[in-house]
Amino acid sequence: MRKNQSLGEYLQGQGVSRRGFLKFCSATASMMALPPSALAQVAEALANARRPSVIWLSFQECTGCTESLTRSHAPTVESLIFDAISLDYHHTLQAAAGHGAEAARMAAMEENAGEYLLVVDGSIPVGNPAYSTIAGISNLDMLKETAANAFAIIAVGTCAAFGGLPHADPNPTGAVAVSDIITDKPIINVSGCPPIPVVITGVLAHFLTFGAIPELDALGRPAAFFGQNIHDRCYRRPFYERGQFAETFDDEGARKGWCLYKLGCKGPTTYNACATLKWNEGTSFPIQSGHGCIGCSEPDFWDKGGFYNPISAGMWGSRDALLGAAAAGAALGVGSALAARRRQKKAQGTEI
Amino acid sequence: MNVTSTAIDQLQEELGALAARAKPTDMPDEERVARAKHVFVKRISMGLAMNLESCIDCGMCAEVCHFYMATRDPRFAPVRKFEPVRRFYRRELTPLRWFNRLFVKDINVDDLKESQELVYDACTACGRCDMVCPMGIGISETVHLMRESLAAAGLIPEELRAVDQEQREKGTVLGVGPDQFRKVVQELAAEGIAIPVDKEQADILVLSSALNIRLFRQSVAGTAKIMNKLGADWTMSSRCFDASNFGYLSGDYPAEKTVTLRIIDAAKACGASRVIVPECGHAYVALRWHGANMLGERPPFRTMAISEFIGREIEAGRLRVKEIGNGKSVTFHDSCRLVRHGGLLTEPRIALRALGLDLKEMESRGRTAICCGGGEGSNYISKAEPLRQRAFEIKMREVDDTSADSLVTSCDSCRYNFMTKGAKANWNHPVESLVELVANNLAD
Amino acid sequence: MTLLDFARGPGLQWSLIIMIVGLCWRVIGVFLGRWRKDLSRPRSDDLVQGGLRAIITRSAPAPELEKNIRFQHYTGYIWHIGFFMTVLLYEPHIAFFKSILGFGWPGLPSHLVVIPAAITLAVLVMLMIRRMTHSVMRMITRTDDYLSLIIIISTLVTGLMAYAHMGPRYETMLALHFISVELLFIWIPFSKLAHMFFWLLSRYRIGTFFERKGVKA
Repeated sequence: MRKNQSLGEYLQGQGVSRRGFLKFCSATASMMALPPSALAQVAEALANARRPSVIWLSFQECTGCTESLTRSHAPTVESLIFDAISLDYHHTLQAAAGHGAEAARMAAMEENAGEYLLVVDGSIPVGNPAYSTIAGISNLDMLKETAANAFAIIAVGTCAAFGGLPHADPNPTGAVAVSDIITDKPIINVSGCPPIPVVITGVLAHFLTFGAIPELDALGRPAAFFGQNIHDRCYRRPFYERGQFAETFDDEGARKGWCLYKLGCKGPTTYNACATLKWNEGTSFPIQSGHGCIGCSEPDFWDKGGFYNPISAGMWGSRDALLGAAAAGAALGVGSALAARRRQKKAQGTEI
Repeated sequence: MNVTSTAIDQLQEELGALAARAKPTDMPDEERVARAKHVFVKRISMGLAMNLESCIDCGMCAEVCHFYMATRDPRFAPVRKFEPVRRFYRRELTPLRWFNRLFVKDINVDDLKESQELVYDACTACGRCDMVCPMGIGISETVHLMRESLAAAGLIPEELRAVDQEQREKGTVLGVGPDQFRKVVQELAAEGIAIPVDKEQADILVLSSALNIRLFRQSVAGTAKIMNKLGADWTMSSRCFDASNFGYLSGDYPAEKTVTLRIIDAAKACGASRVIVPECGHAYVALRWHGANMLGERPPFRTMAISEFIGREIEAGRLRVKEIGNGKSVTFHDSCRLVRHGGLLTEPRIALRALGLDLKEMESRGRTAICCGGGEGSNYISKAEPLRQRAFEIKMREVDDTSADSLVTSCDSCRYNFMTKGAKANWNHPVESLVELVANNLAD
Repeated sequence: MTLLDFARGPGLQWSLIIMIVGLCWRVIGVFLGRWRKDLSRPRSDDLVQGGLRAIITRSAPAPELEKNIRFQHYTGYIWHIGFFMTVLLYEPHIAFFKSILGFGWPGLPSHLVVIPAAITLAVLVMLMIRRMTHSVMRMITRTDDYLSLIIIISTLVTGLMAYAHMGPRYETMLALHFISVELLFIWIPFSKLAHMFFWLLSRYRIGTFFERKGVKA
């Protein structure tokens, strides 16, 4: 892949027909909730886009986000888009290692100063930066250094977007999100554990088309993909309305595909595109497979009372504390009654 | 009728002048409040506490109160009548009192003065509200507690205060003392009705009342006839003949206790196994239901109202009456203190049925009977006249609706009330006493 | 911590603790009050039965009394029954109780629970208006009565809005519903709503009080 090739030339070189390319553009445009009239603009922009430099930093992560993006059963136009960017630094995919890899990173930063995209996955430990280092450089330092001249930052995965698993109680490493450290660059949070692959490429496509970041929600996520909750698009919603719930994972309700609310599904409070776009090129998503949504695109989803605890249940239930409260109340009751009785007893035996 | 209208007029005139006879009970406002509060502290036990905890302000009590029904004046809602004790309880005795003190106002002398009208003029503690309250609150007993606190605070209405003071100081009620009693006994003896008086030992002690002596001598005569017919070993007491208890009526608890204990002593002195209370509701409640608690133990005799006694004797076959039906229909007025608060629902009806009378019941009867408005001493309060007259009209309509020829009752205050208020409304429906009806129709 | 996290976490924790402390304090305190034994000879042998009977019969007053209170009588039942149906027979609520009590029970089809909820809300609003306009109600109503009405109405309104996904974003609406219920928990021991624990005791008491005299309370 020649760096100065346009995206259109590159795709043509890979055997993607004009028709196929336009199909991709229209799918991308509709995914980003653009009107049909924008198709021409999208097609032209993508055809002529220069391949941007992308530096991908991996911090406290499990590599699941990369796996999600790169594992596909058949090469898709989405994955080709991914290939079409100039991925100048990526731990898993790069050929180089050691000092050579770091040198490539510094070179890319210098050559494309102010223009390169920084993609981050994994959280950053600030409790003790030594918890996660690359080439002897702490994640914290590497992030600040690399973000300084980036055009924009895409925080891929819930760990980078909100802290994710490392951030879960008790957060031993002091893990934080990218947006907790970098405050002077535009950040797009593509959350999910992992995010849906096509959401990543959609964001990239938007960037390639318009040279700008897409409309974001209050948590910095692309509104086109995170604007609706799972519950509103879930195909099992009628069962929720009718009050038909699976009580265990293999009971009659589960086998009949009833609502998983009582098994802890966090669909109503989770915003993502799983229920519509689904996974593995539209094969399925957790609820369809019989497991409740765990809310993986939301901040602190590990600490919402448990994956199998329904939303309507409290996150707190301590029988001991309630018994203690009853005992305390009883003691106060006894005390107040005795005080009143003593006062009343003193009044007996008086004339009036 | 046997009751002379002059006797009634005389009594009414005297009642009108009662207020002037009352000795003042002046005291500083703070003392009034302190004494009222002291009564609350002393008398509120768990039952009353439950009453004060449970109210949810639903207002159903008002809908069945005859004073509210007659006037639609919301001030007469029963729950409001004991507002001062409720506030006191919430501030001073309830378990969460420390929180309540933040927003519940303390009671002051104006609260007490305002409640005087509510608990004396506009309430006979009839207890009909007790029957409907969804929380099961004993409103009438709580109103009685209010009366006790007002009595301690020197706020008994003047007319009641006058008679209460008379009974405290002289032991008489409305001027009726042992002399007046003996006079009536002699008059009845002259008519051939023997009444044993002051026997040293007797099985049954029969009581009378001031109203009996002044207005309803035939009630005394009737009781005597029945006792003699039964061949009972009975007596009356010249120094303790009056069962009326103005301590009870006015809320003066110490006075109520004195009168009740005096009767108990007289009964013990003659070794009575039974004490018969005349046709007087509050006298029955004071002796039958309060007596043991005042004494500290159950007295050695059983207390019965005369209507109760008659009903039981007829039921047992010991007392036989003539059937005087002839198509005559009667309706029975269930006096509040005898029936709802006394439990004497069936005995009068046994007697009426034995007499072969066609008993036409009122819509509200027995435990749901509507008060005639004449009890609990309210007859004595002249400023409450117009209000009670209006409340009485409800009772008039109820009686008329039965189309009964005659109205029978077993309480002198009710009887007096029906007669006087009925006359004022040009109603003049025949009113009879159960005792007299039975006594005049004993089988030979 | 989001609003929903607070509502499901510390909000729930402390409101439950306050409610239990307050209720135990108040109920046990009343129960241990001065007890005066009535020494008079009862007319009936069966005071306990009289007390228990009153618990039931008070729910259905005699016709000659009921005719005067018909409106309150029926609306009272309708809204209480509707409220308890909504609270106890809606599956997400049952899941809530299960998380605290450790057991659940069968519920109604979820979309049908809207019916009792809406009826309850309508009746409560009607009763609130009555409390503000009827002469007796205005005379006897205290702040407690209004606050109790408003708090219960707010649980119904927030619940219905959350159910219908109306108004703010669902997680906010759900948090508001939780918080309105937590306000209710805290309010119960300090208000007339404690009557839900007293009604059995006070009905029993009046039952025995009148049974002693041979009168059916």
